[in-house]
Amino acid sequence: MDKKLAQKIAFWIFRILGVFVVGILLWILGFIIYNGIGVISLEFIFDAPRDGMLKGGIFPAIVGTFCLIVGSMIVAFPLGVMSAIYTNEYVRDGKISRFIRMMTNNLGSIPSVIFGLFGMALFVNAMSWGDSIIAGSFTLGLLALPLVIRTTEEALRMVPDSLRVGSYALGASKLQTIRYVVLPTAFPNIVTGLILSIGRVSGETAPILFTVAAYFLPKLPSSIFDQVMALPYHLYVISTSGTNLEAARPVAYGTALVLITLVLIINFTASFIRRHFSKKLGGGH
Amino acid sequence: MKKLLFTSILVAASILTAQTIKGSDTVLPLSQQEAETFMKVNKNARVTVTGGGSGVGLSALIEGTTDIAQSSRKIKFDEKKKLEEKGAKVKEIIIAFDALAVVVNPKNKVSNLTREQLEGIFTGKITNWKEVGGEDLKIVAYSRETSSGTYEFFKEEVLKKKDYMPGIMSMPATGAIVQSIGQTPGAIGYIGLAYLDAKVKAIHVSYDNGKTFVEPSVKTAKDETYPIVRPLIYYYVDKSEATVKPFIDYVLSAAGQKIVSDIGFITK
Amino acid sequence: MRWWIEKIVEKIFAASGMITTVVILLIVIFLFKEGFGLFNSPVVEKGYALCVNAVNPVEHIGSTTIKKIYNSGIENWSEIGGFNEKIVPFRFDDIFGHYKEEEFGENYEKLPEKLGEVIAQTPGILAFIPEEYLPKGVEGVKILDGNTVRPEDFFLGQEWIPTSTPAPQFGVLPLILGTLWVSLIAILIATPLGMGVAIYLSELAQSRVRDILKPTVELLAGIPSVVYGFFGLVVLVPMVQKTFSLSVGETAFTGSVILAIMALPTIITVAEDAMRSTPRAMREASLALGATHWQTIYKVVIPYAISGISAAVVLGIGRAIGETMVALMVTGNAAIIPKTLFTPVRTIPATIAAELGEAPHGGVHYQALFVLGCVLFLITLVISISAELISKRQHNKGL
Repeated sequence: MDKKLAQKIAFWIFRILGVFVVGILLWILGFIIYNGIGVISLEFIFDAPRDGMLKGGIFPAIVGTFCLIVGSMIVAFPLGVMSAIYTNEYVRDGKISRFIRMMTNNLGSIPSVIFGLFGMALFVNAMSWGDSIIAGSFTLGLLALPLVIRTTEEALRMVPDSLRVGSYALGASKLQTIRYVVLPTAFPNIVTGLILSIGRVSGETAPILFTVAAYFLPKLPSSIFDQVMALPYHLYVISTSGTNLEAARPVAYGTALVLITLVLIINFTASFIRRHFSKKLGGGH
Repeated sequence: MKKLLFTSILVAASILTAQTIKGSDTVLPLSQQEAETFMKVNKNARVTVTGGGSGVGLSALIEGTTDIAQSSRKIKFDEKKKLEEKGAKVKEIIIAFDALAVVVNPKNKVSNLTREQLEGIFTGKITNWKEVGGEDLKIVAYSRETSSGTYEFFKEEVLKKKDYMPGIMSMPATGAIVQSIGQTPGAIGYIGLAYLDAKVKAIHVSYDNGKTFVEPSVKTAKDETYPIVRPLIYYYVDKSEATVKPFIDYVLSAAGQKIVSDIGFITK
Repeated sequence: MRWWIEKIVEKIFAASGMITTVVILLIVIFLFKEGFGLFNSPVVEKGYALCVNAVNPVEHIGSTTIKKIYNSGIENWSEIGGFNEKIVPFRFDDIFGHYKEEEFGENYEKLPEKLGEVIAQTPGILAFIPEEYLPKGVEGVKILDGNTVRPEDFFLGQEWIPTSTPAPQFGVLPLILGTLWVSLIAILIATPLGMGVAIYLSELAQSRVRDILKPTVELLAGIPSVVYGFFGLVVLVPMVQKTFSLSVGETAFTGSVILAIMALPTIITVAEDAMRSTPRAMREASLALGATHWQTIYKVVIPYAISGISAAVVLGIGRAIGETMVALMVTGNAAIIPKTLFTPVRTIPATIAAELGEAPHGGVHYQALFVLGCVLFLITLVISISAELISKRQHNKGL
């Protein structure tokens, strides 16, 4: 066959595939938005569920997800950042850092349902915290850890060595260099990583099934040992249980839309920050 | 210890009537609405409702992580034993009754089945609708997850404790069964009466080898002509009586029982 | 003083550096600790034992046999090497049908005695009773030795009926095969699609198009799995059922399609990165020799990037295997060994998510689910390590 023709055919196939895949994404998003947009109202966002969860809003679930985000980041962020500082600033290319990186990758590849199992065994049962925000936060925090570490490491690696050397030349110690030079420079990108982890955490369902999620709890939590409703779990139960699934569909679409919007806003913010600051950093050297 | 101190301070400071209800998915919509209206009347009350299945609720009661276990089956002997070992006496309150309807796709011509035929279908001995007088169509049997009281009750009452066939379609919740049966021509499944709607057709069941077939309804369940009826129960331990009493009293009150019949369950 | 602070802080950093290792260790410890007891557990429900009449020569009964007896699959003792006598399966609750409640005494202290009576009177009986009420030392009663759950029954068993009494069936073969089956189909769908898009992005698309497409693809990765599951449930399940005129829409195929969509971003991103890292010199050499752009792609770029691409595919499989919510919501959850694309399947993660809440803490079922967790953990660990080894080959080549 004519090789020009072969190329033409092949390239058209790839173009179609590209359009196809993007089409799938737009289809899913469009479907949820189309069906969910009519449900969204101030009441839906700021009210508790009513009338057998068919009416009212999903405010407790939004607050619950927010609690879990904050809680899990309190667990994951300091640990993750310190871990990344250690591998990147102290033992950059040694055996130790290779080992740590491997373990981080492995932890990142563990399915979320295993974190659920583990969280239930350790935090809910062994520590006897029961189903609670704190148990859920620890479970989700550990799940987010690899992502925080990886993004922080990338952020630290983007800091040019010339800055470090310059700092040492001025007589600064390693810690001072990290504190006053490396971290401030890498800060925007570290924040990007943090935001990405929040995106990941806010959509997880399997880890919270047995560690925190409540089916119905219209009151807001008053302590970290309370259960909460959460958006992804709410979407799951409302789309599979209840006496009248059809009647619950609008609420399900609305919940899905809120959840997607939340995650997309988070991801957009992250990529915006990254682009904005990587230009700055790139221009600086 | 720290945790204990922390929570006890919190509890003492804010709410005296915090309670959790956990268990059966069948009772879930009922408990949810009861909790909702209860909290409207008692502004200080704080009721958490969680599902998971009757087994979940009872083991949570044993672990002490819930105040009320909602169940669609009677407590098992060993569950009761475990509670007693922990020094707790279990209390049982029947809050409503539920009839289990066997349902098929509306297009299915079969509308009468005997208990023996149902046993054959769900244990996998009968696999085609033509064997029970229908058209030549493969039977697709739907069941609930093993954790549900509905699963166990149906197994005891209709299958006479035989196991379901391996590979039965099992759904995480009753709503999903209704959904699937409505879409699937050869499907059969069992659901609580409250879940019955136009998307599925209820089978008339005979427990006397085909002499009489009874349609499931609130009426036939109440006059006990329909055989597959079970109690919906709240279990709690006597120690927490003071905490749970107001709520349970509410459920048993006229207002509470109105919700029972509104949802489609049978009042006490 | 300052030197001390530096040292201490470094130690703190080092300690946090070990956090992922610690977490993995903790996960391993807890999974194995909770699941460990399974193979020491008796095949019959914990706290119960099986009794027969003393004239019965049978000494041991395996778990599948017990299950068959209680489901009327085996009806005579001669079928399992015993004497010619019809088997009478007897459950503990049945005793309350034989005697009045008062006859057992106030605290059931006469219960063992009554049980003994029934067993001694029925030659073909197989009685399933709580250990504390065992009629010990009663004439005419023989208590069977309890076998424990055998690993081969667990890993090769074909029936998963965790709540079957008296002998729960923990055969995980259908679950393992179901998981692999769904993931395999998913990856077969996702790989060609993902590769096509990756080639398009890295070789063909103008930078403006790529700047739009790439973030869009990354957005796909950000959508929570429960939303995919929901979408699958309301859109894809009915669609699959209608298109292929099936009896059910919840099939392995339905799950695979959703999982494929979810695996796409990983495959596209990693494969694209691998292809773009092909040295410029190699491409130009190929083009200079008169090869077309397409020939250059499939003769130079793809072979060069192949290990990166394989790593992408392997990572995609790993993600599909561990996915819980989608499998739970759209695959039908029937524990049968899959034979076609359109049978319902039950995956390991879905089983854990659906059953964990029910299983009483520390019970056999609970342990079995943790062993399932170990299996899943090991599978994904192997996958993650192989992906790492494969992509390392790429790095070495790059040097």
